[in-house]
Amino acid sequence: MADKENEDSQKAASDRKASLVIAVAGNPNAGKSTLINAMAGTRLQVGNWPGVTVEKKSAEFEYSGRRITMVDLPGTYSLSPYTQEEIIARDYLVHERPDVIINVVDATNLERNLYFTLQLLELGIPLVMALNMYDEAEQKGFRINAEMIASTLGCAVIPTVATKGEGIDRLIEMAVEFADPSKRYSSASASYGEDIEKAVQTVVENVRHRGGKPSGHEALRWQALKLIEGDELVLEETGISEDEVFLEKATHHLRKAHGEDLEMLLADTRYGLAAGLTREALQKPEKRKRELTERIDAVVLNRYLGIPVFLLSMWLIFKLTFDIAGPFTDWLDAVISGPLTRWALSLMTLIAVPDWTVSLVTEGMIAGVGAVLVFLPPIFAMMFFITLLEGSGYMARAAFVMDRMMHAIGLHGKSFIPLLLGFGCNVPAVYATRTLENPRDKALTALLIPLMSCGARLPVYVVFTGVFFSAYAGTVLWSLYLLGIMLAVMMGWIFKKTLFRGEAPVFIMELPPYRLPSVKNLLIHTWEKGKHYLIKAGTFILAISIFIWFGLNLPWGVESKKDSYLGLISQAAAPVFAPLGFGTWEAASSLITGVVAKEIVVSTMGEVYAPKACEEEQSEALTVGEDLKEIGVSFAGALGEAAKNVFSTFGIATISAGEEDTTGIKAAIARNFTPLSAYAFMVFVLLYVPCLIVLIAMRHEFGTWKWAGVAIAYQSILAWTVAFIIYQGGRLIGIG
Amino acid sequence: MSPLAFMKEGETAEIVGEPLMRRLRHHHGHCCGNVGPSAAYDARCHRGGPGHDHLNDMGLRPGKRVQMIANSGTGPLILLVDESRIALGRGVAMKIYVRRIEA
Ligand SMILES: Nc1nc2c(ncn2[C@@H]2O[C@H](COP(=O)(O)OP(=O)(O)OP(=O)(O)O)[C@@H](O)[C@H]2O)c(=O)[nH]1
Ligand SMILES: [Mg+2]
Repeated sequence: MADKENEDSQKAASDRKASLVIAVAGNPNAGKSTLINAMAGTRLQVGNWPGVTVEKKSAEFEYSGRRITMVDLPGTYSLSPYTQEEIIARDYLVHERPDVIINVVDATNLERNLYFTLQLLELGIPLVMALNMYDEAEQKGFRINAEMIASTLGCAVIPTVATKGEGIDRLIEMAVEFADPSKRYSSASASYGEDIEKAVQTVVENVRHRGGKPSGHEALRWQALKLIEGDELVLEETGISEDEVFLEKATHHLRKAHGEDLEMLLADTRYGLAAGLTREALQKPEKRKRELTERIDAVVLNRYLGIPVFLLSMWLIFKLTFDIAGPFTDWLDAVISGPLTRWALSLMTLIAVPDWTVSLVTEGMIAGVGAVLVFLPPIFAMMFFITLLEGSGYMARAAFVMDRMMHAIGLHGKSFIPLLLGFGCNVPAVYATRTLENPRDKALTALLIPLMSCGARLPVYVVFTGVFFSAYAGTVLWSLYLLGIMLAVMMGWIFKKTLFRGEAPVFIMELPPYRLPSVKNLLIHTWEKGKHYLIKAGTFILAISIFIWFGLNLPWGVESKKDSYLGLISQAAAPVFAPLGFGTWEAASSLITGVVAKEIVVSTMGEVYAPKACEEEQSEALTVGEDLKEIGVSFAGALGEAAKNVFSTFGIATISAGEEDTTGIKAAIARNFTPLSAYAFMVFVLLYVPCLIVLIAMRHEFGTWKWAGVAIAYQSILAWTVAFIIYQGGRLIGIG
Repeated sequence: MSPLAFMKEGETAEIVGEPLMRRLRHHHGHCCGNVGPSAAYDARCHRGGPGHDHLNDMGLRPGKRVQMIANSGTGPLILLVDESRIALGRGVAMKIYVRRIEA
């Protein structure tokens, strides 16, 4: 008790602290991140599947003159965690001790959520409950007595709808009030019964007498309960061994009365309380309605339809990506190679810069960065569909449908979610492996992620399909993504037989109800995903474009690009690619530089194939005003084109329809590749080495370069072999 | 009493067999803890993945009523536990015993 008073007076001293830390905790997918976004105006990642947040994130805002720091935690089902992201949540709550916890509870699943609430209450941190998803609970006809929950648990309970911001103001108000020690409500946590409470008391006293490790403000009650349970983590942290005499003594009676398994006893006790409270506070309608989710699932998860539905939705995504983005790509292309280049040229003529600078700007910077920028429309379109997929609830279904296939490679369905996320960008996908239970799964999944075709590879596909396969671009694109998945399964199987022996672990996963994401949220999260590519183009890609320009123009005054440093190196490397159908030095140079990031493949091509600036006819006739007007008109045209394409999705996709220019990168590609070698080239780009940032992410996540090294090695071999088979096989049967 | 995996779609049952659940639990221990925030790969960590406890934490525990929503005879199945749909691998579903409840 002395400690408690001590603690209280300490808190009183800092009464009305200038800044407050509020942690947001709860079951996965309860709406924690959505709630923080609504409170703090942040754009934390939100998605309709369990395990979106895998890292602790914070957001700050001002509230009645105080600095509030909200900490978003990964969702967890208990405070005895299994997976890495759950451990992050648990460690934060236990060691950092926030001023208040906002416990986000899914109101449609009261019992299980309250089970976790009880565990949070054991920590002795003031708790405010957000009874979230209240709209869905009402829709189900649930009636929840919030006051009863509040008075039973000694916390505040506020119904909220995080997506609409309902109840948010009241929630902040209560959280701040609860943080105030003078006004603190007695968090008279529910009693676990005389037997247990007595044991807890004994353990608490002993731990306190020992002094030593556990510091004063540590949650003693929680610690005692965990010690009784025999929680490995807490035993380790406190340095108390499981067969310590006082622990034996304290639990002796419990063991005699309830059996050896005290962890089970405590779980049962908590569940008993949670179930009891739910029975009292929740009134369900007589009959359970058959919900839309069930009707959709009957088709989507059907044993025969499941995989076809998945493949069809992927095909639709790629098709739509092409159809919508195509016209805008052409428009951007026209703007960058036309007016923009013209303006840059006039400006440089005006200030009379030397010739080489003109070349650096037009052939290096504009050609290099422009080649990537042009493909922002398909990248954004792709991110839009991935965001839609994430928000709808289909992600978890895809995991379910693919479970069987994943078992063949010694993984289970849950691993498929990081893989799918890899279609957006491989980097967050590597971090998403945290939700997997064991390190073996994590490493194996991470190794397969680079085979998932990310947004950065899209520009390469768009250029090449645009030149050679424009009539069925969507299908060709789809085939590449599918090839990635199929090879992932094959490689997974090989890895399972060699590097990663062992059984697939247990598959348990919650499937959320389908939800319709709001347009605003869709756009925000599409932007959040796509913006990295934009930033990358303006920084990283720009720097490398300049670097490549020097590579192509040194030694100084070199006559043709072929004899430049980069040209010479590429010529030396080109024979390696000759059996694959693209043994030119231009292709080799783009593949070599593309190791850094895959967009660079097109960026280098843009520079390598760029016409010499001085050779270009300059039509000075147009004024800036006319240019702007032309840009506007052609943009409107692109909009119309895109709309038309969407309505005729099953018609012919026309990327860069109409007259082909004969100077640009596309014409050069048309001259240097055949359809067959183009396909082999795309496959090679799909498969060869992960980009630099993915390698760094792997190192960061696993603490060793080992897996990054394995990825580089196996992917290089795989890429070469598969491209070889495609090109030589194709020639044998007489294509190309 | 029969394994959960044998339930047909639409059937409701109550989970029983505490002893079985316990046995399951002793198969799979806790995941280890010493994985920091930016955790390093740690082989010690692997002790068999989630077993009983995760089931328990997700509401699948003795005495709980569950309804089978999808069970195609092979591959994973889906249970309705209160209002949440839980996908479960067939392996675990064979080790959990249930008592059917007449509708
Ligand atoms: N209908 C409804 N949907 C909500 C509400 N709050 C959140 N959602 C949706 O629930 C889903 C999950 O939201 P998140 O904020 O990602 O959940 P989380 O708790 O952060 O999930 P993890 O990070 O995976 O633990 C999203 O699709 C949200 O749009 C709500 O009050 N009502
Ligand atoms: Mg979250």
